Amino acid sequence: MSFEPKILGIACNWCTYTGADLAGTTRLQYPQNIRVVRVMCSSRINPSFIFRAFQLGADGVLVGGCHPGDCHYNTGNLYARRRLAVAKKILEFVGMEPGRFRVEWISASEGNKFAEVVTEFTAQIQSLGPQTKFKIQP
Amino acid sequence: MSIDFRKIEDNLKKEARRLLEAQKVSLVLAYGKGFDENHPMPFVARNVSDVDCIVFNEYCSANLARYLVRYPRGTKIAVAVKAADSRTVVQLIQEDKVKREDLVILGIPVYGMKDPKTGEVIDNKTTCGLYNPVLYDVLLGEEVHGQPVLSPYDVLAEYEAMDQDARWAFWQKEFERCIRCYACRKACPMCYCDPCFIDQNKPRWGEKSPELPGNLMFHLTRFHHLAGRCIDCGECSRACPMDIPLYLFHKKIAKECEEMFGQAAGMKIEDKPVLINFRMEDSDKILE
Amino acid sequence: MKKTALNQISELAADLMRRGTLIAPVKEKAGFVFREISDAGRVDLNFYNTLMSPKSAFFPPTEDFVRYDKSKTVLDAEGVEPDLKPVFLLGVRPCDVKSFQIMDIHFSDTAPADPYWKKRREAATIFGYAFDVDAPADAADFYSTLKIGAADPEGSDIFMIKKGDQLLLKAVTPKGESLLSSLNGLAQAGAEDEKYFDDYVARGRNFKTRHACVEDGVIAKKLEDLFHKTEFWEKISDACLSCGACTFVCPTCYCFDICDETLFGKGIRRRVWDACMFTDFTLEASGHNPRTKVYQRLRQKICHKYSFHVRKYGVISCVGCGRCTRNCPVNIDIFSIVEKALKT
Repeated sequence: MSFEPKILGIACNWCTYTGADLAGTTRLQYPQNIRVVRVMCSSRINPSFIFRAFQLGADGVLVGGCHPGDCHYNTGNLYARRRLAVAKKILEFVGMEPGRFRVEWISASEGNKFAEVVTEFTAQIQSLGPQTKFKIQP
Repeated sequence: MSIDFRKIEDNLKKEARRLLEAQKVSLVLAYGKGFDENHPMPFVARNVSDVDCIVFNEYCSANLARYLVRYPRGTKIAVAVKAADSRTVVQLIQEDKVKREDLVILGIPVYGMKDPKTGEVIDNKTTCGLYNPVLYDVLLGEEVHGQPVLSPYDVLAEYEAMDQDARWAFWQKEFERCIRCYACRKACPMCYCDPCFIDQNKPRWGEKSPELPGNLMFHLTRFHHLAGRCIDCGECSRACPMDIPLYLFHKKIAKECEEMFGQAAGMKIEDKPVLINFRMEDSDKILE
Repeated sequence: MKKTALNQISELAADLMRRGTLIAPVKEKAGFVFREISDAGRVDLNFYNTLMSPKSAFFPPTEDFVRYDKSKTVLDAEGVEPDLKPVFLLGVRPCDVKSFQIMDIHFSDTAPADPYWKKRREAATIFGYAFDVDAPADAADFYSTLKIGAADPEGSDIFMIKKGDQLLLKAVTPKGESLLSSLNGLAQAGAEDEKYFDDYVARGRNFKTRHACVEDGVIAKKLEDLFHKTEFWEKISDACLSCGACTFVCPTCYCFDICDETLFGKGIRRRVWDACMFTDFTLEASGHNPRTKVYQRLRQKICHKYSFHVRKYGVISCVGCGRCTRNCPVNIDIFSIVEKALKT
């Protein structure tokens, strides 16, 4: 029984989520391991979400937002870029595998890119194996 | 050159007396005698008669700038600061917690400070490594020149070289020892949030009990909240009863923020803290 | 009375480990700490006093009460029983032994008794360990002010005193007697050793740490009178960070919080240490907090320990171990606050 990763996807409403919808309507196939949560903007993401997601058993976390310069709220993703970069450095320094947390800019018209990124990311998590460092053991 | 602690103490007393007599400030944040010579305490002088109780020696490691946010806005305060402490003042001004015109900054150029709990010398390994205050109104001693300029990030080399599993094993062992006394939070001058995120229960960000899951949430989130704001005074690690090397993590994040965003915390009062700022030219490379 | 060589303490430790759980001081990065021993060679009695107090043997930082499962149609809950194996506490200083008696007041002597504390206390045998009266006390200690001797055997089951490179062990209670007589590898002590032991205990009574002549009633009344003198408390609390480190290392602080930690429907109700120094300690459900200022919380701490506790239970809730002062990030000295209060 091969390992089925649990991947948390956090997608911004205006770009990435719409892009994911587009992937769906154009019947693009991608692995179903990703559980997508919609936020209005990538800057809604509190870095504690990422840490907590790993504690609650996520094997990988994928964040998607609008391309810098194209944020629906003008500047949200520019703050998010800095904030999530720091979160990534924290995870790296504490010893979490860096490949488990990824940030991608995916626009509403990039259904292809969404499917590609999810496929690639799922394969990567599969090769990294189950996440045991942060996961809270019952 | 060696540091004349006596002279600094005399100058500190002189300035405090002058400021209080002329009523330029309501209080002077300085150091006073503790239960013995090697354990001075932070001391607040409110009248000229209090000035005689002021001391300054190599054990005065406490960061007095953390007391600035305790007083109502507009209170005129004089504060004695060493290099890292002066960066705290700059950072607090950047964040609009105090106004520059309400402060009289008494700068102390010094090296060779010692940790009162262990007697160890405090240097760039556990603190920011600067000798001279970055902002001051009065300098209480001679500016330090000729001392080796050391990077505060040298101590990270050993940990950056570890592979991630070894690093995880290291931090897991350290954070398991945390008893959640929150001395680090209270010792930190930049931790002034009321309520602190960890005290909230809607939502509950981390478990209350002193075990690894809650400890990880508390510390990792706190490292994030201090990103680009930590001025590397080392007080958190000195306050920790379990000797957890928090300064290593804070230094690492400070180093990354300097590299990614081109700005160190607490250097110029015109700066904007890095996480409430952005540049269009920020590179996507920082996310790799 | 028995004796053993100090450098053979690991043998005594190994013997105790065969009979139950051994909690003894080990040297760690930050200093000496009481730990559950898995390697007898790590037991180290060359210490002054431990960083944290041994109260965690009876009152652990986390104590599980009830396990529950919300995912079933009816809330399923079961109590968690504390482990009842015999426990041996090796190397407890006299002031810390006295702290157990003070804590007994709250946990077992007043109804309703705390069954967790009681069970752990009953399962434990305490090896008290005298301070070295030939060396000066640590500058932060003041246990002689509180009439605790440097070599008081009261409260221990077995009391240990160092004699050169030997360790003398004397049974104080029947529980201690039955354990001591059954321990292997200990030599019989002679009459000379018995005399040394008794002399040492007497010297311990005269041994002075930092000292002030304090009658419990006098300090209690003085602090009561000072309660509303806000300027006094504001000045005292100028340096205090209100961090809580003093509470966590104190052997007689016992405040706790009960919280439910649930994950995906299953969880544990547990007790965790709390501190009156925390800002939200008195935060009420309405949002009102009667102690928002540092001076209010520091005043509460001092008055509770040296005044209210005396009024209610007749004894100061402090044993002068000095840990609060040693661990305070800004070197605040609780003893000097009491002295200042007496002089005001």
